[in-house]
Amino acid sequence: MAVAALHSGGIADHIHPEPQGFVRRYVFSLDHKIIGIQYLITGFVFFMLSGLLAEAIRTQLLNPSGGFVAPGTYNEVYSVHGSAMVWLVVIPLLTGGFGNLVFPVQIGARDVAFPWLNMLSFWIFPVAGLMLFSSFLMGAPTAGWMEYPPISLQGAAGTSMWCAAIFLVGVSSTITGINFVVTILKMRAPGMTFTRMPLFVWGQFATAPLLMIATTALAAALAALFIERQFGVPFFDPTKGGSPVMWQHMFWFYSHPAVYIMILPAFGIISEVLPTFARKPIFGYKLIAFSSMAIALAGFMVWAHHMFTSGLAPFLQLPFMIITYLIGVPTGIKIFSWTATLWGGKIHYTTAMLFAIGFVGLFTLGGITGIFLAAIPFDLHVHGTYFIVAHLHYVLIGGSLMGIFAGMYYWFPKMSGRLLNETLGKIHFWLFFIGFNGTFLPMHWLGVMGMPREVATYDPQFTFWNRFESVSSYLMTFAILIFFVNVLWSIRYGKRAGANPWGARTLEWQVPSPPHYYNFKHVPTVYGLPYDFSQPLPYSGLEEELTDSPPPVAAGAH
Amino acid sequence: MVERTAQPAGLGRGFWAYTAILTLVAIVSIVFWYVFPLERYLPAAIVTARQVDTLFRFMAATGSALYVFIVGYLVYFAIVFRAKASDAPDAIGIQIHDNRKLEFWWTVIPVLFVVLLSVVSVRIWYEIELEPANGLVVEAIGHQFYFSFRYPQINGEVTDEMHLPLNVPVTLNLTSADVIHGFWVPAMRLKNDTVPGLVTSIRFTPRLAGRYPIICTQFCGVEHSEMDKQILVIEDKDSFDRWYKGWQQKNANASNALPGAGGAAISLQGGDAAAGKLLFSQKCTACHKLAPFNQTLVGPGLEGVLHDSNHPNLVNGQAANPADVASILENGYTGSMGAMPSASSNGLSPQDIANLVAFLNTLK
Ligand code: HEC
Ligand code: HEM
Ligand SMILES: [Cu+2]
Ligand SMILES: [Cu+2]
Repeated sequence: MAVAALHSGGIADHIHPEPQGFVRRYVFSLDHKIIGIQYLITGFVFFMLSGLLAEAIRTQLLNPSGGFVAPGTYNEVYSVHGSAMVWLVVIPLLTGGFGNLVFPVQIGARDVAFPWLNMLSFWIFPVAGLMLFSSFLMGAPTAGWMEYPPISLQGAAGTSMWCAAIFLVGVSSTITGINFVVTILKMRAPGMTFTRMPLFVWGQFATAPLLMIATTALAAALAALFIERQFGVPFFDPTKGGSPVMWQHMFWFYSHPAVYIMILPAFGIISEVLPTFARKPIFGYKLIAFSSMAIALAGFMVWAHHMFTSGLAPFLQLPFMIITYLIGVPTGIKIFSWTATLWGGKIHYTTAMLFAIGFVGLFTLGGITGIFLAAIPFDLHVHGTYFIVAHLHYVLIGGSLMGIFAGMYYWFPKMSGRLLNETLGKIHFWLFFIGFNGTFLPMHWLGVMGMPREVATYDPQFTFWNRFESVSSYLMTFAILIFFVNVLWSIRYGKRAGANPWGARTLEWQVPSPPHYYNFKHVPTVYGLPYDFSQPLPYSGLEEELTDSPPPVAAGAH
Repeated sequence: MVERTAQPAGLGRGFWAYTAILTLVAIVSIVFWYVFPLERYLPAAIVTARQVDTLFRFMAATGSALYVFIVGYLVYFAIVFRAKASDAPDAIGIQIHDNRKLEFWWTVIPVLFVVLLSVVSVRIWYEIELEPANGLVVEAIGHQFYFSFRYPQINGEVTDEMHLPLNVPVTLNLTSADVIHGFWVPAMRLKNDTVPGLVTSIRFTPRLAGRYPIICTQFCGVEHSEMDKQILVIEDKDSFDRWYKGWQQKNANASNALPGAGGAAISLQGGDAAAGKLLFSQKCTACHKLAPFNQTLVGPGLEGVLHDSNHPNLVNGQAANPADVASILENGYTGSMGAMPSASSNGLSPQDIANLVAFLNTLK
């Protein structure tokens, strides 16, 4: 009987006994939840390191003549800062981290489709990260996270290390992408149709193909740059017949989709947190899910909006401008839907909710300046200036990072069994919010007025706002320190959470915190969307989850 | 179940009063962007700078109005619908899932706005593209870590400031001797990269005399931050002519050697016309006749390319002088007739180019 019930979930029920011993359980673990936590820990360690680099940048810019580090070192600092924040922090935290931790439970699966690949893709990540940081020992890259040749051909040995490191993170991302696509397509619990999937799952489902497809273009570009630097095959050097603009096409063919890799999962997080704490269904479920897919698809058709100054034929640029404008439509729909979700709610101000509402406010500003940048004539003015830096931080910090924080406050109890401290959390939110705006808002007008990006010294007329930004950035960093203190403290002393401290309705909250090894004693059956608070939960088969009945027995072929 | 559910109470009077306030704030922000004295902070040195400002004002005005509404409602809902101490602990919100009509309109209105924005920006883009192509041709070449400038009748390079006469249309050709730089004059609201191996051009008409910083916007090496010290001087015709004559004299004996894309200069001085003639028969006759300009094969006839008073300008709009012919051979050129291959695809060394130019220069 038990065996028959277990097999109702198809391959999801292929059960092996839980491994014993520290190494198999916590180091080379095959459990998606442990792997998710490994990603989170590693990602946050890299976040601290690249955060330190960020403060070095802001300290340098306290004075128009710089003086904190030498100009050459400064270039290394911001290049590694940018590369690490994108590839070692935001992407791994949102996909490998929260993705692994949450979505398999949300679809009622016992694990991801390929646990071994999952372990492999995690272990590539810290290795690649250490390689990237080790480039400081041999002269780190200096040409920013975009490393345009020919200048990147002149960089010290660390630039080749950078290529290798980012290539490896790319391999790791690609594996994760494949794994997630197959898991979502094949391992949903019975009754978990596409239109019943939680929106976080939709976010991962839109992201995973981007990881798989776009990353290959980056890998090719990195391999070419590496080969050119080490063996002199001229892909990009124009004096030998190469094309420097070719790099830009390949880079942005990856990196524009990559900005969606960095935001679609965060959209997913917000779409879970808002309804939970507004005690209301998410408004316009179908349109939100559909718009994620639309954004992911259209994301492949706009890369040249980063290249309006690179000498493309003028008429070729127009379609890129207009398609980029069009992406604003599905993005706008999401923003309207989140706002409407608050209407008529019973809103509980937890820290997760504050970050989610803050996300909507700040990301929207970044989205609007994104539309400005797509307008060719205006972009010809502000491309390569601090206006770009402002835009990308509003979407990446105001968007992705606020999403990550919302996710941390929301799911920390699920992974640890304890709540994060709410008082510290609120202090974290407000200091972070103020510090962030103080740091990045003035960059908009600095850019418009004439301050270029990637400079170690600047025109003294910009001194006031730069100092203002630097001081605000210290506040922001202080807020992040509070967050780390909170995590370390709460892991030991936090209030016990129980299975469902938020009264949330998706599947992961119906099992203990943390869930046991195979997530479910019996694979549940799903009858509807999770979001309606006036209805009973749309699941069956969960009756034993919170009881002492024994975990599933090993069964199946092995 | 039902009693702990908040009832849909309509939008309420508070909502409409608040919407009126938001509308007012939105109108104020629109007015703000239209009256804001941008040019006091950043002069508009060329004609199209004002068009760019128009586009910016339009986007900033509509963008802030939109932002006011989104953040306005976000904050309003967040405050009005907060859970109160008097609510039951398990109280829930109004369980609506969607509203077809609302969703229809907030899809359609943004689409219409995108159409409007596209029309506005394509028009302004087009006006910038329409700037005349037959003006003064100046070349800016990026170097680590400065820009140099070439003018039609000045030998060699001008290395300190770039001067332009008021109200005369300019075609600025951009290229680089080493890595990619960005040529930006904030007062022009215009920039373009200088890409090695590629000549790109921007066209504009100076309208306001003054001295404006030229800033590099592409990271180009360790002194990139210092690449903001050169000045674009826009001045009246007389002052410009004086400056121009000064450089003509100063550079009278300078060579017109072009920097190759790797920094190695192509010297036109030592060109060997005989070697050039041989090379021409091997590499060029497939597309060019030695006949007057209008006798086209694939490309134009090249007889008298440097000495035909009927065709004072080359196909790329530059004056027909040896340096500019060399630059076409070096970089190639694609125009109305088709593609003239670059030196790398034609397999030409700098010496070959010098030889070919010397040969073409003998054809009268
Ligand atoms: C594949 C065909 C092709 C080959 C081979 C070729 N050209 Fe051209 N060339 C063109 C075309 C087409 C143009 C005109 C481009 C336009 O304006 O559309 C041109 C333009 C030119 C011009 C500018 C003429 C003017 O009046 O402005 C010069 C000079 C020139 N070519 C020289 C050469 C030389 C020297 C060679 C041999 C090394 C050569 N071309 C080989 C196709 C070619
Ligand atoms: C409606 C949404 C968006 C639009 C229309 C948009 C548009 C643009 C455009 C046109 C540029 C190029 C500007 C230039 O280089 O001159 C740009 C830059 C950038 N955007 Fe966005 N963007 C949007 C959302 C996002 C999101 C969601 C992210 C990431 C989470 C993001 C990250 C970036 C980054 C990192 C850059 C800078 C690239 C660089 O270093 O030059 N953008 N954006
Ligand atoms: Cu983009
Ligand atoms: Cu530069």
